[in-house]
Amino acid sequence: SIYLLADQYRACSLADLSFNFHFEHGQQPSTTKMNIIQLEDGWNNVIKKGAIDVLEKTLDDGFDTSFEPREYIRIYTTCYDMCTQRSPYNWSRDLYTRHGETIETYLRNTVLPALQDKTGQGGTILLNELKHRWSNHQIMNKWLKKFFTFLDRYYVKHHSLPTLEQAGLGHFKTEIYQNSKENTTTAIISLIDEEREGEIIDKTLVKSIVELYESMGMGSLDSYTNDLEQPLLDATRAYYGRKREDWITKDSTPDYLIKAEKALGEEKTRVVEYLNPATEPKIRRVVEDEILQKVQMNLLEKEGSGCSVLLANDKTEDLQRMFQLFSRLDSGLQPMANIVEKFITSQGNACIEKRQARLDSGEKDKNDDPEFVKSLIDLQEKYLGVIRETFASHHLFQKALKNSFEEIVNNDVGQYSNAELMSTFCDRILKSGGDKLSETEVEQSLDRIVQLFSFLNDKDLFAEIYRNQLAKRLLNQRSASDDAEKAMIAKLKVQCGTQFTSKMEGMLNDLAVGSEQKSEFDRRMEQQDTNLSFGVQVLTTGNWPSYKAPEVALSPQMSKCMDVFKEWHDAKHQNRRLTWVHSLGNATVRATYGKKSYDLQVTTLQAVVLNVFNEGKTYGFTDLKSKLNLDDITLKPLMHSLSCGKHKVITKSPANNKITSTDSFSPNAKFSCNMRKIRIPVASVESSHNKNRVEEDRSVAIEAAIVRIMKARKTLSHQQLVAEVLSQLAFFKPQPRVIKKRIEALIDREYLERSSENSQQYNYLA
Amino acid sequence: MPGKKRKADTKMWGSPSTSSSSSRRKGSSSRRGGGGSSSGAYGGASASGINEGKAERMFAELCEEDNPDAANMEGICKLCEQLDLDPLEDVRVLVLLWKLGANKKPAEIQKGEWIAGCHKLKLDSVDKFKKLLPSLDTGFMDREEFGDFYKFCFQFNRAGTHKTLEKDLVVALLKMCLTGGRISSHRLDTFCEFLETTNDPSYSKITLDQWRSFLDFSYEYPDAKALNGYDEGMSAWPVLIDEYVEFMEKSENRKK
Repeated sequence: SIYLLADQYRACSLADLSFNFHFEHGQQPSTTKMNIIQLEDGWNNVIKKGAIDVLEKTLDDGFDTSFEPREYIRIYTTCYDMCTQRSPYNWSRDLYTRHGETIETYLRNTVLPALQDKTGQGGTILLNELKHRWSNHQIMNKWLKKFFTFLDRYYVKHHSLPTLEQAGLGHFKTEIYQNSKENTTTAIISLIDEEREGEIIDKTLVKSIVELYESMGMGSLDSYTNDLEQPLLDATRAYYGRKREDWITKDSTPDYLIKAEKALGEEKTRVVEYLNPATEPKIRRVVEDEILQKVQMNLLEKEGSGCSVLLANDKTEDLQRMFQLFSRLDSGLQPMANIVEKFITSQGNACIEKRQARLDSGEKDKNDDPEFVKSLIDLQEKYLGVIRETFASHHLFQKALKNSFEEIVNNDVGQYSNAELMSTFCDRILKSGGDKLSETEVEQSLDRIVQLFSFLNDKDLFAEIYRNQLAKRLLNQRSASDDAEKAMIAKLKVQCGTQFTSKMEGMLNDLAVGSEQKSEFDRRMEQQDTNLSFGVQVLTTGNWPSYKAPEVALSPQMSKCMDVFKEWHDAKHQNRRLTWVHSLGNATVRATYGKKSYDLQVTTLQAVVLNVFNEGKTYGFTDLKSKLNLDDITLKPLMHSLSCGKHKVITKSPANNKITSTDSFSPNAKFSCNMRKIRIPVASVESSHNKNRVEEDRSVAIEAAIVRIMKARKTLSHQQLVAEVLSQLAFFKPQPRVIKKRIEALIDREYLERSSENSQQYNYLA
Repeated sequence: MPGKKRKADTKMWGSPSTSSSSSRRKGSSSRRGGGGSSSGAYGGASASGINEGKAERMFAELCEEDNPDAANMEGICKLCEQLDLDPLEDVRVLVLLWKLGANKKPAEIQKGEWIAGCHKLKLDSVDKFKKLLPSLDTGFMDREEFGDFYKFCFQFNRAGTHKTLEKDLVVALLKMCLTGGRISSHRLDTFCEFLETTNDPSYSKITLDQWRSFLDFSYEYPDAKALNGYDEGMSAWPVLIDEYVEFMEKSENRKK
């Protein structure tokens, strides 16, 4: 506070002040005109004796440096006077110079020898000495600056010279720092290496020295960067290079990674504790490069503990660590993602091989393989989870999963494509009497199968089969839940768009409309004088699979019912044309054998056949054919179901299991059964889907895409055209040759031509 | 007019007569007069220097019985007899028809085309036709001309309104027009072998596009070495050519 006081007094009259103090110290009182202080006088008697010598002594002795307030003011004032005296007595320049010389001399004569003395005695001792000397210097610098502060205000500025502080620092740098920096750096680095090996070191000491380096930059970090940081980085690189060589041969990948993680953590902490923050990214990169980048493939592919082994053994923690460590590297995750992709693919292929093995060992090749489909779903579920939890849903790993499943799912073995197996899997879930699942389980299963479906190339094939199976479920009332059907269609719609599911929705809609209108038609039927109960389901042709519509000769009763319906329907809808599809449809026939009556649940065609036998006559196969107007393919299974199945309501002669055109049939008078309601199934002739239809639709789609693209682009090279076509086809992936054939067909039909200038180019023909 | 006698050929020529196309009609040529020696009896010389009447009379000998405006294969064969050319083996017959401009319909030349052609080629007598024969060698044509002629070969040999040719006919025609160094004989022979041995039903008929592509392809890939650089993924060549290259690769591997 006395220093402040001195400044305040200056405002009023320094002359008065100096007068007082000078007086107290036994000097001649000055008149209002001050006494001129001579250079040597002021310097030697006041400054040097009172300040500098004192300062140096306290530093040497190690005592705290302090000045009595009076003494301080005396020295301060002397300096001030010497700097403000009129020329030729203005000693600013000399004082400035001598300030520098003083420091310089002190450093050279006192500090430097002391340091050099300690140099040979080991790192810590040297560092401690340096720390001490640096601390001292800072003190000296501070005091000298205080005393000479007036120089900073005017002289320094006027002559654009370094400030006192800067000058002081500069001298320290030149005299001490430059001479000792190499040894100091070496000492620091060996301490750091010791710490790396687990020794405890004096961190505070190191931190102080680091601050010295930082200060030596004089506003920039250059000294630190060049004299300490760079050697440290080199030493770090060498250190971790050695460690890497050591670890990589001895350690398994997980163990190595644990060590790597630890090392990276330690280096990070080190920077926080005693290095400059700018070093953090640099040292991190060096360490990452040495212990991760250089051995990345080695670690990933290590036998017995590499990435694929970890995956096989579900080593989540190790994989997480691996993921986190490699994500530090530039493109460090791609190799790992590649291994993950290969691994998942091999798991998928294992499922496929299992299926193949079952087929090879004699299992019947059907369009239903729930074991296989479930195994793929489980695999997908598992690795979706792995990617979420272990790989933080990183996009490279999501892509790896996608790539591998695209390969797996499109790998068909056996007679039936995976598209068909997947559709049948859905059929099981959605049909009544299928797998017993709760509502949430159904929802979940459908979700999963749709996810699996998303990888399928032949989505249009799936759609065709699914539609056929859906139709079967709906028409035979075998659908377990309308809501579930809708939910599945909605999911497919989200995946593929409205066009993909429009027919399916149409099917459901037809039935909904039908049931609405049912009661109205029922009332009309009641008005008829027939004892047949009769219902009609109207289907919109485009939505449903194509069915055979045999023009079977119906009984008059049946024909009458149909006429009633037609009349009612045509009144409601003028623009529609109805075609009766008797190959579908069910009937219940009351069959009386002797005293017992039975309700036979049969198809429409079976009912028509049974009706023929009402009078008890015998008919030959060929007679039936012409009477009913049916072909062999249709009639044979019908006759088989009625005469060779479990319930032989019709007798066949000869009595064997094969229907031939020479057989003859009559009602089985001896027929009896315990049950009253009997269902007589017929073997279905329809295949699961129309392969040709899918092929035709594809040809059309490819050609439409080609024309669309060429119309817009006018001219394209072959490669470009093929690429564009493939990108536009969402639901199947044709081979390039298939696309080429469609191009040739369009050339033939003059939609396109080959360019006369370039044989590999096509032009659009308007 | 290819070498082998085939049922398809007879059908293709669409000739109402039952005799095979290879038989020479010795009788009929004497039935009609004219042809032969010059005589200024009908019409004088026209601007091109020919006697159009004579040209017309020549045509009259060749045209169909019930259609004076067109001469079908029967008539063409008659012309061949007059010129001592074998219509089944000699490519010069096609070259002549092409030069005369028989473009409108396959397997016939129309009167207008004949007259215009005669003017263009300065022909009005059998002798003059005969003198023309040496110039009908395909070797004289440059690439553009030959390309045009080559296309004509395909178009002219179609049956009625069909747009394609039967594979066997294609093989015979290729051999007829492409021998003589226009393309490498190795290319020609192996391609014909490929066509003959393939069982693919889609190649039982060949389109104009495939026909033309083969020629361009042979120019671009003249020898076996060139085929090594063939990249199916990049190529716009018809699938037929892709499969031919595959066929060549397979037979190369078999040789090794």
